Amino acid sequence: MKTVIGGIGGALVLAAGMAPFAATAQDGEALLAMEWDEIVEAARGGEVNVFMWGGADNINAYVSDYIGGLLADEYGITLNRVPLTDTAEAVNIVLGEVEAGAAEGAVDMIWINGENFRTMKQGDLAWCGYVEKLPNAELVDFDNPAIANDFGTPVEGCEVPWSRVQFAFAHDTARTEEPPRTIPDLLDWARANPGRFTYPAPPDFTGAAFVRHVFIHAAGGPETLIGPFDQAKFDEVAVKAWDILNDLEPSLWREGRTYPTSITQLQQMFANREVDLFFTYDPAEVGTAVVNGIFPETAMSYGLEDGTLANTNYMVIPVNSPNKAAAMVLQNLLLSGEAQLEKAQPDVWGAATVIEPDRASDEVQAGFAALERHPSVVAIEELGQAALPELQADWTQAIEDGWIENVGN
Amino acid sequence: MAGSRTSATEVLGRGHPWLSLAPALCVIAVLFGGGLVLGLAGSFAERGGGWSLDAWAQVLSEGRVWRSLGLSLWIAGASTALSCGIGLGAALLLRRSFPGQGLARLLFQINLTIPHAVGALGILWLLSQSGFLARLVAGAGGIDTPADFPPLTQDRFAIGIIAHYVWKEVPFVGLILLANMQSLGDDPESAARTLGAGPFAAMRLVLLPLLMPALVRAGAIVFAFAFGAWEVPVLLGQSSPAALPVLAWQRFTSPDLAARPEAMALAMLIALVSALLIRAAFTARR
Repeated sequence: MKTVIGGIGGALVLAAGMAPFAATAQDGEALLAMEWDEIVEAARGGEVNVFMWGGADNINAYVSDYIGGLLADEYGITLNRVPLTDTAEAVNIVLGEVEAGAAEGAVDMIWINGENFRTMKQGDLAWCGYVEKLPNAELVDFDNPAIANDFGTPVEGCEVPWSRVQFAFAHDTARTEEPPRTIPDLLDWARANPGRFTYPAPPDFTGAAFVRHVFIHAAGGPETLIGPFDQAKFDEVAVKAWDILNDLEPSLWREGRTYPTSITQLQQMFANREVDLFFTYDPAEVGTAVVNGIFPETAMSYGLEDGTLANTNYMVIPVNSPNKAAAMVLQNLLLSGEAQLEKAQPDVWGAATVIEPDRASDEVQAGFAALERHPSVVAIEELGQAALPELQADWTQAIEDGWIENVGN
Repeated sequence: MAGSRTSATEVLGRGHPWLSLAPALCVIAVLFGGGLVLGLAGSFAERGGGWSLDAWAQVLSEGRVWRSLGLSLWIAGASTALSCGIGLGAALLLRRSFPGQGLARLLFQINLTIPHAVGALGILWLLSQSGFLARLVAGAGGIDTPADFPPLTQDRFAIGIIAHYVWKEVPFVGLILLANMQSLGDDPESAARTLGAGPFAAMRLVLLPLLMPALVRAGAIVFAFAFGAWEVPVLLGQSSPAALPVLAWQRFTSPDLAARPEAMALAMLIALVSALLIRAAFTARR
């Protein structure tokens, strides 16, 4: 509340001192009526302020040097990267400005997903409806539910995808030749191999994600769980999900009397051959573990036929962005096949692309095909064949609490 | 320069004890007391401002919290009793001079320098079902596979956690008692012996009562640490019930901001129970 009041005071002072004019580059309505060439002209020579988590040097360098360089050379646009430790800070800035009635804010773009996007969309803080104006939007499959929904919140043209991560399982081909490839198969496999499977107890992040897979299986698919939290629906599915997991307990490591407390512990147990399956939200980790000698070279990551959870991160333009035209040009550049390919290089960042490589130029397609990938790491394209959308935070919290209450005790 | 420093020391040294203690007390009051007050305030905080007892009511009405409290009391109680018993025995053995006594004392104290997290990982490597002992026994044909080894870590009775604390705290208790015995000297026991007491009676009736205050103090420190520390149970404990500090940490790092006051209430509960029990131990001594 204090920040909002402070924001109001500050913005009133600012507004009083500003001449009331609306530049074309800032006026969203005017931009939507323009052709792409005109938008690029309006953006030329401008500045774009990108607020993003700044904790990784390789990501910062990719945005400031690679993207910033292209933007300056081709469009004469200056990219100001504003590092954040928590994306909510940027959302709070926009919220304060908009509540104070400032038509022109300080933020042109935020790297965002999940809770923070939901806050922006619900508060009408995100600028929407411009996405089809971007020529490179054609490269993206907006019908993919894992792209069309941001942790359960429909995107509806209010943000543009940037990168993807997807949950994967791993097995040791020397020990388990044919691992289970669906959740029902996995449950049967665990019963047939008592003591050889377990999962970290929520609130461990990865363990909670595994429980969500079982929960979605119990619900008969993700469709009914998309959208806002529904207590009646939750109660109906939860009974089934907790039954499945409680029935499974006698077949788990130590008969399910206890669970590993972290994903690190499960990783060690897999490495020590105490269990035969491992899973992670970052499949590249399996390759790293093999390189470091923690996992044997025969360790392989793989996806499930009925899908694994995936989530996408996005770039959003605030409704009061002072330079929407430049922000659009930047978003278009970020979506280009070349920029997505550069981002996917393991020595640059190794982030999975959101575009469909076969919709890009031949050169880009060849680049993606030639990407160096550790042989133990499953290809993101293969994983992407079956992706499940993430659920809204209220759902994930309720599932975690419900597991602790009904299964973990 | 050197002169002015000496005079400052003199002023402080000759002043009232409160004045001399002021710097140390300030640090304790601000850093420790301040944190405690903020934590207590945080446990009564309500989202969006205001005060409420909701977090305390929630925490105290949860079965999990009581089970965790029971587990933490068991861990701290068993660790303290074993550490004090073994530490006392070791100190009594080590105070006599014998060939190689210096080396024995060094070996006895060496793990005081090892951090708890490192020790806990060591226990994991040694005692877990894929650990050294399990592999050794399986290799010798005692069990079919290492996984058949009895669970000594992440187990119901917190054996791994207690083993770590005993390993780590026995030298601590022993060291305090050895220093205490050094300052007592041999005189009280010698006097008892000349008055006709046997060696065992002299120890039981004279030396032990004299050592008791130091033992209770050392035990209080061990108890407070084992009851409130987080890193060892998080590495060696089972998932449920988790030790009380682990539960507090889970609430503190939850994305649900409403869990934050509950984390504070749990932390305050740990401090309160620990303080009451140690207070009771000191009172019983007197």
